[in-house]
Amino acid sequence: MWILSFTPDWVFHSIALAGVIGIIAGFLLAFIPLVNKYKLPIQIISIVLLTFGIFMEGAILNEQAWQLKVADMEKKMAEAEAKSAQENVKLVEKIVVKKEYIKTRGRDIVKYIDKEIVKYDTKFMPGGQCEIPKEFYKALNDAAQEPNK
Amino acid sequence: MKKIIIISMLLLTGCSTTVPVKAKFPDAPDMLMTKCPALSQVKEDAKLSEIATNVANNYTLYYECAVIARGWQDWYQIQKNIYENAGK
Repeated sequence: MWILSFTPDWVFHSIALAGVIGIIAGFLLAFIPLVNKYKLPIQIISIVLLTFGIFMEGAILNEQAWQLKVADMEKKMAEAEAKSAQENVKLVEKIVVKKEYIKTRGRDIVKYIDKEIVKYDTKFMPGGQCEIPKEFYKALNDAAQEPNK
Repeated sequence: MKKIIIISMLLLTGCSTTVPVKAKFPDAPDMLMTKCPALSQVKEDAKLSEIATNVANNYTLYYECAVIARGWQDWYQIQKNIYENAGK
């Protein structure tokens, strides 16, 4: 509540207390001659003060409860951010391992090609026994081309 | 009467207080931000072994990219769990 942001709590405690004292004083003044004519205004003002004071006491308690919730939420968010950063590190490590494995596997396959497939190069050369048609290259390159639509 | 209405409105503004806690959107690792490279092509007079190498390299590129895509899925699930549990 905005009023609590610039008014110290003791002001509202004092208002509530003044209301209680005023109500009691209002009853006591009834027994004192000459002064008892102020009884009604004092009681009315005291009831207003007490009502406002009690309302603000509730507001203070509510504000305190919210501040605790905010602090708790801030703590949880800070923990979540720290955990998120930790998990990111773990994830990157996992990805690095997987990518390294894929690269190694790719290199092994290329080594195998250099060792075993090279033998058939002359057979599949242009003009060779099993010449690879131009359409094959076109199809292969078209498939490798990134679609631009 | 006008003063009473104004005072009531001022006091009731406390009821619309928003919680001043900002949750920062989690940062994704730089590695996940890398774009997938274009696949390599073959020359029109490439030998059989060169074609096979090209296909193998392209498969390798695909699987490297697939790891990144899988990484995004994992990242999303991890962050979702962390932030959903943080709110509890």
